[in-house]
Amino acid sequence: MSDGSKYDVVVVGAGPAGLSAAYLLARSGIKVLVLERGREPGSKSLFGGKVYAQPLRDVWPDLDKKAPIHRWVRVERFSLEWGGRLATLEYRLGKPVAFTTYLPELVKWMAGKAEEAGATILDEIVADEFIVKDGRIAGVRSGGDEVNADVVVDAEGVNRLLLEKIGLADPPDPSRLALGVKEVIRLKPDEIESRFGLSKGEGLSWLIAGEVTNGVPGGGFVYTMKDSVSIGIVLRVSSAVNAVEKGVINEHVSRMIERLRLHEYFGRFWRDGDIAEYGARLAIEGGLGYMPKKLVHDGLVVVGDAAGLLLNTGYTIRGVDFAVYSGKLAAEAILHALAVGDTSEETLRVYEEKLKSSFVYKELVSHKGIEDVMSDPWFFKALPSITVDVLKSLFEAEYEEPRILEAVMKSARETGTPLPLLIQKLLKAANL
Amino acid sequence: MGLRIVVGFKWVPNTQAVRIDPKTGTLIRQGVPSIINPPDLAAVELALRLRDRYGGEVIAATMGPPPAVKGLEHLISMGVDYGYMFSDRVFAGADTLATSYVLANGLKLIEGERGKVDLAIFGQETIDSSTAHIGAQVASWLEWPYVYYVRWAELTENSSIRVERIVEGYLEEYEVPLPAVLSVAMRAFKPRDITLKGKLRAKLEKPFKIVSNKDLGLDPRCVGLKGSPTIVAKVTYLPDIPRKREVYKPRDPRDGARWLLRKLLKDPETRDLILRQLWGG
Repeated sequence: MSDGSKYDVVVVGAGPAGLSAAYLLARSGIKVLVLERGREPGSKSLFGGKVYAQPLRDVWPDLDKKAPIHRWVRVERFSLEWGGRLATLEYRLGKPVAFTTYLPELVKWMAGKAEEAGATILDEIVADEFIVKDGRIAGVRSGGDEVNADVVVDAEGVNRLLLEKIGLADPPDPSRLALGVKEVIRLKPDEIESRFGLSKGEGLSWLIAGEVTNGVPGGGFVYTMKDSVSIGIVLRVSSAVNAVEKGVINEHVSRMIERLRLHEYFGRFWRDGDIAEYGARLAIEGGLGYMPKKLVHDGLVVVGDAAGLLLNTGYTIRGVDFAVYSGKLAAEAILHALAVGDTSEETLRVYEEKLKSSFVYKELVSHKGIEDVMSDPWFFKALPSITVDVLKSLFEAEYEEPRILEAVMKSARETGTPLPLLIQKLLKAANL
Repeated sequence: MGLRIVVGFKWVPNTQAVRIDPKTGTLIRQGVPSIINPPDLAAVELALRLRDRYGGEVIAATMGPPPAVKGLEHLISMGVDYGYMFSDRVFAGADTLATSYVLANGLKLIEGERGKVDLAIFGQETIDSSTAHIGAQVASWLEWPYVYYVRWAELTENSSIRVERIVEGYLEEYEVPLPAVLSVAMRAFKPRDITLKGKLRAKLEKPFKIVSNKDLGLDPRCVGLKGSPTIVAKVTYLPDIPRKREVYKPRDPRDGARWLLRKLLKDPETRDLILRQLWGG
């Protein structure tokens, strides 16, 4: 019988970040315990539907063959919508780099891999607090029980109750959070393919901005799964609260998603499908701004959402791959620390350094300016409105067609955006 | 010495999440998660309290398909000491008679392996069939005394058990010699939470056993579908009838009564009913 109260590593949270760390550590012979508050790994996971594959392959080389991949995304669509008019940009990828899936399915697969490698996963167990001994994190307390560990991996997700208790993170600032709601609508695979114009097995990802959220920063999304379509709304919490207080909107988010589902144009893609599931969760919008003061402490490493590793550029949303990659870097740092027998902050800091020189951090830094765009209602109301206006005057002209610049200036003026401001905003969106 | 208590449970589909196919009248179980039958958790809690007070061990027992092992793990995480799962293809399709036959014989097997059993405790009924048979039937097979709707139990000085139950407004107290079978009133005891240490024990030590009919050695004609005389002849789905609602807010309640009576008398069937009530005709 093994001693159940001492582990090399305890991971809090069986999500993509925690499970990639647990898998890599267990595979190297480290004694790992994973605590998950949900009924099973993945039961608390929810997201839109698209995952970038390459960072996951670095952890699980058999990903393409074994993981529950629904469809490889071949078509990216982006729509601006206002006043019942719609402008859509579609890009067909030469080679798919991301796939659609249900996160609970993917997480369950990751949990299976970690268990195969020798990690112990306990579900329905809530980690109440860290055990702190002489300033270092020495384990985790749950109810009246304690587990000691040389290193604790904090993969608790967006709601960082443990980090808050030790003062490493502040309670969430609503301006850094978004609310996501989604519905899953069942459809036959061939219906999905014919309606969206896809070949067999191909997937589509579609982001929509404008009227779908009544101009509140956020948007709508559509992802095609194997035999269902996942649709949803993301709202910036502070922007939505602001808009309600100012009387700009008076619509519950459940109505918003219903409006998307029954939409005169979008609705035709999933017409006659059955709603199989619905759900909601909080997501980070803030990225770097959500990052805790530091990602390591004596005996502690912070990964995934808890570390603020999520990027929403408006045209892509990345979180799962960042989480997995951070788990991988954390595992490497912990392996080194355990090997040299020193799990102090100083030794573990190599994780933070590696993360900061990795693509994850570079992506977050290079899109730092996107923060201002994603919180600026102009991009969600004026921009869609100007865009469809301009296209309207170009395509719906019966005799004379205006020149493009004329049309742009005219509709910009009408929405109260002088041309210099328009140019400035667009440059900002282009991240220049 | 302490008590050796066997507590029964059933792994059932979460009926709150089950929908009924209006055409066939059968349950749509696809994609519905299974759970421990909630009334059984009250039985488990009583068993654990008796053990905590008098010492001994609590053994969980179930007849069910392989996934029911999740239920055993949960009960061990709550503090149950050991578990037995009686699982075999020949047990499938059992009614309560065939189920209780397996459980009663399973209890004898448990006695053979772990020592004399003092108490068998069951939940009041299951949420997926609501027969409330199992406790009584197991007691019959074993020829042990049986008390149901139990809401409290403690040992007496002469080592029998004193139990309380409330039936139709009367509080009844029984003193029963051991061994005995109890079934516990729904919600009589709030089940305790699982613990980290308990969960670790369940996962790492796996203190439970899966027993097939090879070890139990029961006549295949007495178990499963073959051993089940109960036949569900027909299930009819009774959907909720949407009611018409009207709201009338009179200032004087007598106006309200008049308004209501006028409405009711409009429907001939209701009028007949009212007249018959009034004049006994």
